[in-house]
Amino acid sequence: MLDRSILEALRDAVNAGNAGEPSGLITETNQLQTYECDGLTNFRTVPDAVLLPRSAEQVQAIVRICAQHRIPFVARGSGTGLSGGALPAKGGIVISFARMNRILEIDIPNQRVVVEPGVINAHVTEAVAAHGYFYAPDPSSQSVCSIGGNVAENAGGAHCLKYGFTTTHVLGMDVVLPSGELVRFGSAAPDAPGYDLTGVFVGSEGTLGVATKIILRIVKRPETVQVLLAAFDSIPAAAQTVSDIIAAGMLPAALEMMDRLAAMASEAAVHPNYPVCEALLLVELDGPEAEVAAQMVEATELCRKNSAWEVRVAQTAEERGLIWKGRKAAFAAVGRISPNYIVQDGVIPRTALPRVLEDVTRMAGEVGLRVANVFHAGDGNLHPLVLYDRAIAGQEKIALDLSERILHLCVDHGGSITGEHGVGKEKQQAMGYMFSEPDMDTMQLVRQAFDPQNIANPDKLFPRPRLCGEKTGPYTPHPLETAGIAEFF
Amino acid sequence: MGVLSNVDGLRAVAGADCIAECAGQIVASPRTTEELAAIARYASANKLAIEIAGAGTKRGWGNPVGAKIVLKTTGLAGVRHHSWQDLTATVAAGTPWAAMQRALEAHGQQVALDPLWPETATVGGIVATNDSGALRLRYGSLRDLIIGMTIVLADGTIAKSGGKVVKNVAGYDLHKLMTGAFGTLGVIAEVTFRLHPLSQYAASFTVSASDVTNLKQLMQAIVASHLLTEGLQLRGTPDGFHLDVQLCAHPDSKQAEILRQMTAGQDLELESSSNRIWKAREALLLQPGRLILKATMLPTEVPDFALEVAEKGGEFVAQSLGIMYAAFPADELSCKLAEEFRYRIGLQGGTTFLLARPTPASSAETWALLTEGELPEAHPLMREIKRRFDPNRTLNPGRFVGGI
Repeated sequence: MLDRSILEALRDAVNAGNAGEPSGLITETNQLQTYECDGLTNFRTVPDAVLLPRSAEQVQAIVRICAQHRIPFVARGSGTGLSGGALPAKGGIVISFARMNRILEIDIPNQRVVVEPGVINAHVTEAVAAHGYFYAPDPSSQSVCSIGGNVAENAGGAHCLKYGFTTTHVLGMDVVLPSGELVRFGSAAPDAPGYDLTGVFVGSEGTLGVATKIILRIVKRPETVQVLLAAFDSIPAAAQTVSDIIAAGMLPAALEMMDRLAAMASEAAVHPNYPVCEALLLVELDGPEAEVAAQMVEATELCRKNSAWEVRVAQTAEERGLIWKGRKAAFAAVGRISPNYIVQDGVIPRTALPRVLEDVTRMAGEVGLRVANVFHAGDGNLHPLVLYDRAIAGQEKIALDLSERILHLCVDHGGSITGEHGVGKEKQQAMGYMFSEPDMDTMQLVRQAFDPQNIANPDKLFPRPRLCGEKTGPYTPHPLETAGIAEFF
Repeated sequence: MGVLSNVDGLRAVAGADCIAECAGQIVASPRTTEELAAIARYASANKLAIEIAGAGTKRGWGNPVGAKIVLKTTGLAGVRHHSWQDLTATVAAGTPWAAMQRALEAHGQQVALDPLWPETATVGGIVATNDSGALRLRYGSLRDLIIGMTIVLADGTIAKSGGKVVKNVAGYDLHKLMTGAFGTLGVIAEVTFRLHPLSQYAASFTVSASDVTNLKQLMQAIVASHLLTEGLQLRGTPDGFHLDVQLCAHPDSKQAEILRQMTAGQDLELESSSNRIWKAREALLLQPGRLILKATMLPTEVPDFALEVAEKGGEFVAQSLGIMYAAFPADELSCKLAEEFRYRIGLQGGTTFLLARPTPASSAETWALLTEGELPEAHPLMREIKRRFDPNRTLNPGRFVGGI
């Protein structure tokens, strides 16, 4: 447990200037338990304290105390992460951004919005929708997840094939470094001088510091959006259609695929009126009306060419909404057909899709489990859902083992262990399968420059046994530096 | 150790063929990533500085580097892998940009970026300087187009970041740190890009006016419209202001007609243009004996700063996103005006970079101010990153912001 004097210092830090407001320090065990995990619930650690700051200055004061006493800290938005990124460290604190949720500035002519990290993703779009703009990254949890969490994980979504990821839409930010120093990364103007610290910070999973203000780029809403749904008798036929669409020079706003199990689960849960088939393909095209109309004709032909037995273009906004509702509900729907499941997030080159899915089905069959597949077919981001029952002795272990082997399969095909959920706690070991020691040692150089004390969300992202900096060794000063003749730099 | 023994030492570790001597400098031209690593390792261990050069087209950008070794990356050339169905390609750093694009064109694809001097400039040099042109409006800059990289650190470590898939959040994006780092953290050996289909319907137009105010309104209207624009560029020449627009929508959507009506609404005239207008930045930068700056600003500030440059006797090419290249005459008065311009850019939160100074330099003081400028707030952290990556200051020492 944290020392009483430290707790008091933290209380002062988080309550400074908040006379009359509820305290920003939580230490009651039953309340702390709310923060013991995020969306990945099989890892749990109760933090020693939770802090709810209202300003960057308060965050700074909290982190300074952490730096002084080497207390591990983790920032938390809405806690919807799926890789354990917001899992507290033992003996550490959680900095919750629930009270830093203001949209600070909306600048339509310059297509920018400035937010605090606790702002909910969907609220950004709501704030600019009347002007014909939207915030493009749309993770499935967008109605509850926070921008700060999106920044930490470099969140994606169904539309990142065309519009890019969180990193594409963050222009700059204010960051409290693990030393407690508050600095600006990037700028409202493009090409800020110096290294692209914004670029390396987005997706660093809370290991480089805590963002307190974020400059986002917003995008003009397209003139029109159309969605097509096609039913195929095989995954390879649907996958070939995806390749053909890409080869035809189209860049769809989204290209999603579901296998029979996932589509059936969705159908049962939200009744999107999906046809029963081996592979269901959703194609969303957006842009100028005439262009989208022409491309829809072409996409329909390509579906037919690859033996789609049903091709349906949503005729109304309601139909379109329903098709998407089924897709977005897929994870939760699978919960209805299986007591437990593991969501994986591997990525493969799109062309490897038929082979990888065949292998996944075979591997699942070998251990007697089912895998439902929902994925972003356009960018090769798979979301295999490994179904199992925790109540059956030993099955969870088999499921975890299978899901790890699926990640290895993705890497073997030239892909990645994670497309949007992050490494976090969950995939630490798989990092070692994807990257070599020199690759990870080089990443550690960045980590050490930002956080030499290793207190910002420690023991995440990199494989366990090696300690931070173990391989790379300490910095040896130049003799001229030691002699005081020259300054480094 | 003298030059000779270093030449011998380098030949021993990297092979005799790729080490030459030229005018008191050692020229190292590795053909493989391993040779490159051996050269870096030797230089770092022997405290020899390396200046990294591709084709050398932007060698004057940043602070000068006095280095014993010039590392030429042009021997590391070729498209290593083009997975056209996955819209990705891996390219060696010394490959000339246009050569890469010609290879990708075979499948109707491109890296959607229009950098300076593509026939000679190399992939590595373009990435290291984070160059971008008009296409950035639609496709983003290099940070949005690069999905993976192989780099060689000063100590010879060969490290990879990212991968060959478009979507990937595993580990730190080291390739973002390397992009625009002017080679001060590592030598870029290979780059993996996400590709885009070649634009099928690109068409260019220009609207000219003597008063920038009219163009300002048109520019804002275009940005707020549903026009699919690949480029939006404001130019200032001695005969007035010009707004260049590249549309890329399907002809059925009749966007040229929409643009024509918008232009007529401002009492201006829309003319078809050749693709040459998108080379205006190159032409401006090649003007001899000029003081040339790159200035960054908010998009809405572009027309006002455009007017200021014109009033101060300069010419400019500006991308609507807020990047302006301005050329001023070399006389003392113009240099003072340029310095005022730099000051005002800074007040608005933008930055000015000196790209070319007139020869002979007329006022040393002015150059110093223009070169140094204001250091970014996070500069101490940047120095710390450099120290971790390159403790012996082997790679391009001093070239980067604030002498990094």
